Amino acid sequence: MEALIAAAIGLMTAGGIYLMLRRRTFPVIIGLSLLSYAVNLFLFVAGRLAPGLPPIISKTAAGYTDPLPQALVLTAIVISFGMTAVLVLMALGAYLTGGDARIDLDDGGAE
Amino acid sequence: MNHLLILPVLLPGLMAGLIVAFARNRLHLQRVAAALVVLALLFMAGLLLVRAAAGPEAYFLGNWPAPFGIVLMLDRLSALMLALVAVLSGFVLIYVIGTGWDQRGKHFHALFLFQLMGLNGAFLTGDAFNLFVFFELLLIASYGLMIHGGGADRLRAGVQYVAFNLLGSTLFLFGLGLIYAVTGTLNMADLAERIAALPAGDAGLLRVAAVMILLVFAIKGALVPLQFWLPGTYANAPGPVAALFAVMTKVGAYAVIRFSTLVFPPDSAAIGSLVTDLLTPAALATLALGAVGVLGTHSLPRQVAFAAIGSMGLLFLAVAAGTPAATAAALYYLLHSTLATAALFLIADLLAARRGGAAAHSGLIAALFMAGAVAMAGMPPLSGFVGKLLVMDALRSQAVLAWSAILLASLATMIGFARMGSALFWSPQEADPALPIPQDRGGIAAVLLCLAALAALTVFAGPVMAWLTVAAENLHAPTAYIAASALRGGT
Amino acid sequence: MTLALIAALPFLGALFPGLTIRAGKNTCAAVSAAFTATALLLILLQAPAVLRGEVIQTRVDWLPQLGLNANFMLDGLGLLFSLLILGIGLLIILYARFYLTATDPMGRFYSYLMLFQGAMLGIVLSDNILLLLVFWEMTSLSSFLLIGYWKHLPEGRQGARMALAVTGSGGLAMIAGALMLGHIAGSYDLSVILTQKTAIQASPLYLPALILILLGAFTKSAQFPFHFWLPHAMAAPTPVSAYLHSATMVKAGLFLMARLWPVMAGTDAWFLIVATTGLLTMAFAAKVALFKDDLKAILAYSTVSHLGLITFLLGLGTKAGAIAAVFHILCHASFKAALFMTAGIVDHEAHTRDIRRLGGLRHLMPITFAIALIATLSMAGVPPLNGFLSKEMMLEAAAHTHWLGNGWLVPLFATLGALLSVGYCLRFLVQGFLGPVRGDYPHRPHDPGFGLWLSPAVLAVIVVAMGLLPMTIAGGLVDAAASATTGAPVHAKIALWHGLESPALWMSFIAFGGGFVILGSYARLRALWDGFPRPEAKQMFDAGLGALTRLAGWITDGLHNGVLARGFAVAVVTILALAGYGFLTGTYAPGLRAATPIEIYPALIWLILVAAVTATVRLHRQRVLSILMLGIVGLLVSVAFAYLAAPDLALTQITVEVVTVVLLMLALNFLPQWTPRQSSTARHWRDGILSGVAGLAVAGLAYAMMMRDAAFDPISAFHLAQSKPGAGGYNAVNTIIVDFRGYDTYGEIVVLGVAALLIFALAEMLMAPETRWAKHPDQRAGDAGDPHPVMSRVAARLLLPMSMMVGVYLFLRGHNLPGGGFVAGLVFAIGLVMQYIAAGLKWTRARLVVNYHTLIGLGVLVATATGVGSWAAGRPFLTSSYGYFHFPPLEEFELATAMLFDLGVFLCVLGAIMMALDALSRLARRVR
Repeated sequence: MEALIAAAIGLMTAGGIYLMLRRRTFPVIIGLSLLSYAVNLFLFVAGRLAPGLPPIISKTAAGYTDPLPQALVLTAIVISFGMTAVLVLMALGAYLTGGDARIDLDDGGAE
Repeated sequence: MNHLLILPVLLPGLMAGLIVAFARNRLHLQRVAAALVVLALLFMAGLLLVRAAAGPEAYFLGNWPAPFGIVLMLDRLSALMLALVAVLSGFVLIYVIGTGWDQRGKHFHALFLFQLMGLNGAFLTGDAFNLFVFFELLLIASYGLMIHGGGADRLRAGVQYVAFNLLGSTLFLFGLGLIYAVTGTLNMADLAERIAALPAGDAGLLRVAAVMILLVFAIKGALVPLQFWLPGTYANAPGPVAALFAVMTKVGAYAVIRFSTLVFPPDSAAIGSLVTDLLTPAALATLALGAVGVLGTHSLPRQVAFAAIGSMGLLFLAVAAGTPAATAAALYYLLHSTLATAALFLIADLLAARRGGAAAHSGLIAALFMAGAVAMAGMPPLSGFVGKLLVMDALRSQAVLAWSAILLASLATMIGFARMGSALFWSPQEADPALPIPQDRGGIAAVLLCLAALAALTVFAGPVMAWLTVAAENLHAPTAYIAASALRGGT
Repeated sequence: MTLALIAALPFLGALFPGLTIRAGKNTCAAVSAAFTATALLLILLQAPAVLRGEVIQTRVDWLPQLGLNANFMLDGLGLLFSLLILGIGLLIILYARFYLTATDPMGRFYSYLMLFQGAMLGIVLSDNILLLLVFWEMTSLSSFLLIGYWKHLPEGRQGARMALAVTGSGGLAMIAGALMLGHIAGSYDLSVILTQKTAIQASPLYLPALILILLGAFTKSAQFPFHFWLPHAMAAPTPVSAYLHSATMVKAGLFLMARLWPVMAGTDAWFLIVATTGLLTMAFAAKVALFKDDLKAILAYSTVSHLGLITFLLGLGTKAGAIAAVFHILCHASFKAALFMTAGIVDHEAHTRDIRRLGGLRHLMPITFAIALIATLSMAGVPPLNGFLSKEMMLEAAAHTHWLGNGWLVPLFATLGALLSVGYCLRFLVQGFLGPVRGDYPHRPHDPGFGLWLSPAVLAVIVVAMGLLPMTIAGGLVDAAASATTGAPVHAKIALWHGLESPALWMSFIAFGGGFVILGSYARLRALWDGFPRPEAKQMFDAGLGALTRLAGWITDGLHNGVLARGFAVAVVTILALAGYGFLTGTYAPGLRAATPIEIYPALIWLILVAAVTATVRLHRQRVLSILMLGIVGLLVSVAFAYLAAPDLALTQITVEVVTVVLLMLALNFLPQWTPRQSSTARHWRDGILSGVAGLAVAGLAYAMMMRDAAFDPISAFHLAQSKPGAGGYNAVNTIIVDFRGYDTYGEIVVLGVAALLIFALAEMLMAPETRWAKHPDQRAGDAGDPHPVMSRVAARLLLPMSMMVGVYLFLRGHNLPGGGFVAGLVFAIGLVMQYIAAGLKWTRARLVVNYHTLIGLGVLVATATGVGSWAAGRPFLTSSYGYFHFPPLEEFELATAMLFDLGVFLCVLGAIMMALDALSRLARRVR
């Protein structure tokens, strides 16, 4: 199972980075979202895999998976949601006022 | 239990919450609230400086013992950073109110206070994941401040800034996951103890985690080659916000200092000389790029941005040396560089508001620019020169490379600013006297205060360095820090 | 404290001109003069003691950790220079008062001048080499301001920048030299350094330190090949040229060499570098001076030449050389300052300084001519003026000097220098002042008022007096200064006549004869000179610096071209390379955990996930599809969480996913449906390979991580054990986020709240009437057809109470079972969002009484208040407590303060999400 999870994380990372390297805002946003899935999963499995052992305390449980990474991922999900929302709106603002959806600045020689 | 440690985090957050809930359309009230918070922060920072001198101290949130809950840690370094934030935010607030920048968009003061909350939280926390949370908090507030006032270029620069930092945040999480997987803890003092005792077979993965986390800080600190976000962001941000951001790069520097002395010290077998090996070449490249940028740009805000990059190079060069003397010098330079960068961004903004008008050629503005440029280029008599001497003195063992880099960068910065200044203030074209003189006495007062702080830093270099020397020695021998966090109920 | 006060006086004086200028120019000048005179008086009070051989010291600790202290000392050398700086300073202040015109901002001029005076005085009074450096660089800065004083002159700007670049870089080299010197001597105090001759000269650092310090001295004192900045500094107003660029600042380099003479001089390296440079500079600059036409340019090159002469004398490393050097510093300052001031008077009166347009001034300006005559003859070395005395001493010293075993090279060059010097002096006099009165001056000149000629006249009197009575006037001072320079008591004998056997006499004769020959054949020599192409130092400097600046611009703009993808690509490569480096340089033992077996359904899910990720990437240019695919990925990730025993995560992930997709879809309303293809195939490949490597690396890392146990027990064992007894909840994940690590959550909801505020502020900004929106040809004009079909409206209205119930349920059970405030807020929000989508903004807003701002603010406040509440119990922030309550209809019910905290989370989340979506909807309305 570990190999499959690792492969999934790797694939999402690769996809995310590939999209991040595009030159329009939209794919960059999608790429960053993919990347955040990847990292959430990565952070989660830092507690190792324990299918069927949820961290709900009960007398009958055979054991528990590590709850701490789960709590961290919860925080990370929320934060990355907030960040994504902000990025989307800012990109929209840049598009509406700027006229195109390029993500690049007219730096350097333009001065 | 003394709650003074948490107040610098809670107070700005609480006040910002009140503003949002009850005073979101009353600018005057917001100004008063923000000013009160800044005054309180100054006062608290003073108290904390005094307390930190007595030794490190911990605050156990939720009353859980470390490392199971989150702890706040006060030591000389964190107190110093809090004081710096309080002082800088005071100048920025005066400027913002004095020039009316806070009227050019919604929620300036709430975002400003949240920014302070994030900064203070990041400097106080003793928990690696909590550092991430407060990094995010200070970042998201900074996004809001960055695009304050709007404009297509600013928004687009903002998108880049956010995107780059999202990459950094992702990397931070990868690093934190890995470090938890290897060590099973997140508390920084606990990490220090566990990493010191780490089995050899885990060193490889730990080093990967260390590299990742250091790179996150390097992004914050605009260390080459991760500096791409900085010029566009700083040059496009509103002037006072760019000035406030002068401390944002220092967050990266702070974190590198904290982690390289506490969590990833050179005397742990797993880490060894990793930090120095990675940081030194990057710092040299940063110094060089900053100098080249100062020489090669034509707009003042962009030039200041590159000067800020260069100053981070000098700062990191000292940090990379990893000796108490170099760290003390780095801390002195950190104070200087923050204030000097802020002053120059404020001056650039004053100028931008006067562009074309007769007031742009006023002797006062020119004198302010001269003082700021002198400070930034590390010329006497301001603290940049003292800081430069301190760093050079501490880097004696690698004099040939480090000294040449520092001195050549100084030269380039000096020439670049001299050219900029002569073009701005000695330009032959006639000013348009019809343009109004902006009402920015408050802004000028803020710049003067900022420069006065630099002068004070210069005059009182002796006492400041005496304090910083102890701070640096404590950092490099963190026994008291670790003891203060009373891991697993121990004392 | 006296010395510190003296050093501070000019700086204090610099504050006043700006303030007193309103009271008139005379007040302004008088205040500056008063500060200068006070400082001079205080120095004079110390003079008797210093002349007796005492050294007066003032010590103030500044930065003892570094050894940078405000230590001052006054010895013979310092006295000589202080008197020059303050004495000539006074004359210059007087002269400038009448020289500057009504339109020149005089307050600014005097401020700069006093700033310079303070810096210069600081140099000569410093007893700490680092302090000296502080003042040293300040002279460069104040000189920069003074050269550029006339802002309208482009040559002023360029000259100022060039001077700063050259002298500033020398100063920087000096920093390194000074740090080395202090390291060898064990102190940066000059009084200590000067006692360490053996240690310094034996140190391997001696030569690098010497070279670096000399770089500072040579650039400042305009020695070849760094001389070129000085002539261009002449764009400054003449008082500045007279003060800084002949009498004082350019002598700072000489001062430094004299100051360090006791420990640095006397070696072969010193002699070969210093004496040779000086000699070359003297001859070379004298030759150039001969062929300049601008009076100030002639004087500038002659200054360079004389500075070379003094450098040569110091370079000899002999006592006689030192005496001659010190004496000539004094003589040169007197006649050269006078000459500059006369040149200024000529310029002021005739409106030109071009010697080809002058001549005959003798008749029109007799007083000026008299001053010029005395000063020029002294410069040429004509007896009985003071210039003659020092020149004789120089020639005498040169005559006995061997250069690498060669006995005639040095005398030859010295004589040549003197000869050329006579030549340009004669030309200056003859072509400038003699001859018939011309009719074509740009402005008919006459002698100026008393104010302008008084200062040079005073200097001319000194020139004559010193020539006639050298021992009476200057003997004591020269002795004291030379003693300080050599570090041993010196008694100089300065006399007009040394007898016929003196070689200097004959060298002088040759010089005079040659000088007249040059004057006689000037036209032919000039033609010859003009015929040869010469490298122009300024052009070379400008070209060099220009090329450097362009290169810097090219690098900067090329590197920072605003392309985000480049920054990302570089970052990814850096992260991969350095992480790889970190891994490979560490030791790695493979993990020992047994792999979890693969089951069939999870494997199928995995396959779908792979397909969805691939589709998201492949279809990224078709935006709607790509968002849908992304949603599927998110869904599958939440399935994975559910399978991997993380129900809380699964719940959160899926609700967040819904909101994210809604948000993206709403945003997509504004954007074109397609992303244009922009990258080349090569770039696609490059990016593909890069991201592939990154993916492999992360996968490997994840695998390695999962297959091993932590090296130590994870701290979460405590959380599991304490979840119920300590935090009062069965759900360990929830107790961590609301209790053990509640502070993280506190930060997290603030992040979310700030995100919402930011989005609100952004929307307000975009909605503001003054914000111009760009035209978008591909923008869609809203949705086609009925925007709010009845079916969806009804469905959504039914959904709302359901989602609210689910939300409350999730909230209440969160502490013990998967759920909690965050998920509850999201579910609530989704219900409301459905209303928006189905019924529209107006309808929903009209029925929604709560402002989102208030929700967010309250959320933060409730969470904070809950945390602060524990202070009342004497516990730290966020300490929870819980208890069991019994409400009749329900069973036993647990209430924990953590739930109150969770309520804050709930409010904040709900407010934030609603505010974001509300902002988007309002934007959408503006588009329509």
